[in-house]
Amino acid sequence: MSVILEVSHLTKEYKTVKAVDDLSFTLNEHEILGLLGPNGSGKSTTMNCILSLLRYSSGSIRIHGKEMSPSAYDLKQEIGVIFQDVAVFEELTVYDNIRYFCGLYIRDRKTAEAYIEDAIHLTGLEDYRKFYPKQLSGGLLRRLNIACGIAHKPKLLFFDEPTVAVDPQSRNNILEGIEKLREQGASVIYTTHYMEEAEQLCDRIIIMDKGKILASGTPDSLKSITSVTEKVMAEVPRLSEEKLHKLEGEVTNGSIRYENGRLVVSFHDGKDHITHLIDILRRMQISYLRIYSERPTLNDVFLELTGKELRD
Amino acid sequence: MFLHNYRYSLVVLLRNKGLVFWTLAFPVIMALLFHMSFAGIDDAERFSAIEVAVVDDDAYQNQVIFARAMEELSKSEDAVLHLHYADSTEAEELLNNGEVTAVISIQKREPVVRVLSSGIQETIVQSVVEEIRCDSEVISDLAKEEILAEIGEDGTDLDFERIFTDISKAVLSVKSKVNNLNQKEYSFVMIEYESLIAMTCLYSGLLSMTLMNMHQANLSAVGKRSTVAPARRGAVLAGAMCAALTVQLITLMMLYAVLLLIVKADFGNDIGKILLLSLSGSLAGLTLGAAVSVLVRTGENAKMTVLLSIVMSGCFCSGMMGIVMKNIIDKHLPFINWINPAAMITDGLYALYYYGAVDRYWFDLASILLFSVVMTAVSIGGLRRRQYDSM
Repeated sequence: MSVILEVSHLTKEYKTVKAVDDLSFTLNEHEILGLLGPNGSGKSTTMNCILSLLRYSSGSIRIHGKEMSPSAYDLKQEIGVIFQDVAVFEELTVYDNIRYFCGLYIRDRKTAEAYIEDAIHLTGLEDYRKFYPKQLSGGLLRRLNIACGIAHKPKLLFFDEPTVAVDPQSRNNILEGIEKLREQGASVIYTTHYMEEAEQLCDRIIIMDKGKILASGTPDSLKSITSVTEKVMAEVPRLSEEKLHKLEGEVTNGSIRYENGRLVVSFHDGKDHITHLIDILRRMQISYLRIYSERPTLNDVFLELTGKELRD
Repeated sequence: MFLHNYRYSLVVLLRNKGLVFWTLAFPVIMALLFHMSFAGIDDAERFSAIEVAVVDDDAYQNQVIFARAMEELSKSEDAVLHLHYADSTEAEELLNNGEVTAVISIQKREPVVRVLSSGIQETIVQSVVEEIRCDSEVISDLAKEEILAEIGEDGTDLDFERIFTDISKAVLSVKSKVNNLNQKEYSFVMIEYESLIAMTCLYSGLLSMTLMNMHQANLSAVGKRSTVAPARRGAVLAGAMCAALTVQLITLMMLYAVLLLIVKADFGNDIGKILLLSLSGSLAGLTLGAAVSVLVRTGENAKMTVLLSIVMSGCFCSGMMGIVMKNIIDKHLPFINWINPAAMITDGLYALYYYGAVDRYWFDLASILLFSVVMTAVSIGGLRRRQYDSM
């Protein structure tokens, strides 16, 4: 697979803060690369630097081996961006919005019209061509936002949290659409806060914080990073402080958390601890409604790497 | 790319209800309101001369040009002022008894107007005196220049006849200008309409600013999307600016239709030149809006506040709240009106309408175009290959 995008030692400094700190990564052809990180980790700044919107302090950004710059029109022609904020004109209809943005890339009218139809079809906006943005629901607005970014059939796509505040149906539609775009030959950089989305969609994931890469790899390889080997969850409606302390004494090979009627025991020494935990709960006469085991998720990896403290 | 942007920018502007109100409807509403509020005000004021006391002392008599101008104004059939010559004590008594509206005296060679309250009559007296004072200064300076030039040419023999002829011409021109105060043409309402035209021209800045903001990545998500596209900024922005100019032309057409057909404002015989001036003024407004959008590096609301402050203070300095303000600025802070596009527009209109001074009109037109060129250069310089430090 050939490299589409190469970011080398990218650094973006503000007065006192390094928003991006010596960041290097590549994106291969037909690949979906996830950029994960908490708020303020530098994901959007990285994206804006790649798009030549932001001036960066040092490093280089190459697309198809060529240096990216504000006047690199041939490279821009191949890029599509779906911004986190919905970027459409309130005064234009769904069709006119897509037509306007597509027209910035495609000059031939017939080609543009055919591309617009494809974008409308892919995002399921067939019935809303004449609607104005304010008449659309949140999910439809997000789909329009995507249609405006992909109508010109770009080869390199940037999705910046495209599924924020949409219902599960719309989210599913969006994720399927991105898969289709990859099948049609696009390479994608995808930023999100939803770990399950990244796990479902991305071939490779980069977890970053404070402008630096903390870990990268396939979803499976990332999961092996965490020290947690198994999580057993039990729905326990009532658990006194006293019993919780006793339970902590019984379970010596795991850490216990009890929140909102849910007991979570994380084990760090292999799998298949559920039977052992059931025995302990019965012995201690702790009643539970449901108990189940889970392998560590990307979310566990993410929290372990970036910490659990709240961010801005 | 130009046509593509032109077409969609036009649609975006015409479907923006707030913008349509402020740029298309507001000037028309203002014109109609002026018409309804001030209709007949000129007629009412024209037929009753304002009673004024003049302190007739040595200082007053020494200001020959001023005294003659005042005399002229009180002579004709439809005189603006009715003068009562008195000493300072009598004049004060007349004022305090309400027999006169104002007392005019000369102090330190400058005319001083004393009134007891503010009102239309008081404002007219202030305006008239200020106008005569300005013109007297011009004539005085001209006389000095003429005499000095004569002395400089051949030493001693002064051609008094020629000096007299030149100064007489100037005096006659001023006299005819002052006399206009008595005529229908010098109208309080017309001055308001002319200021309104200037304001409407500069309000076009709202159109260009709206479109420019839409194409700047640090101001809107749409701006980001537009900036990452491979379209050349020049073509995109030129299309947008032409769309703004088109909407502005529609505005001007509507405003002039109302002024000429409904309000029946009398713009004389130079309507072509007036339209050319309005078009140039609109260009100044458009480029001013673009420059503010590029140069003021804050949010959209702050940019709008800056633009409206510039436009409204410009209109104020150019006479929207009364011609006296323009004269005061011209006298004490002339550089403000040299760079004030509203003053350039109103001055061009006065040049055509009151003074019949075509040279002055062309000078004003050239100044407006120069202003537009500077604003365009500033905008292009600010936008060219712009990358942002932060978003």
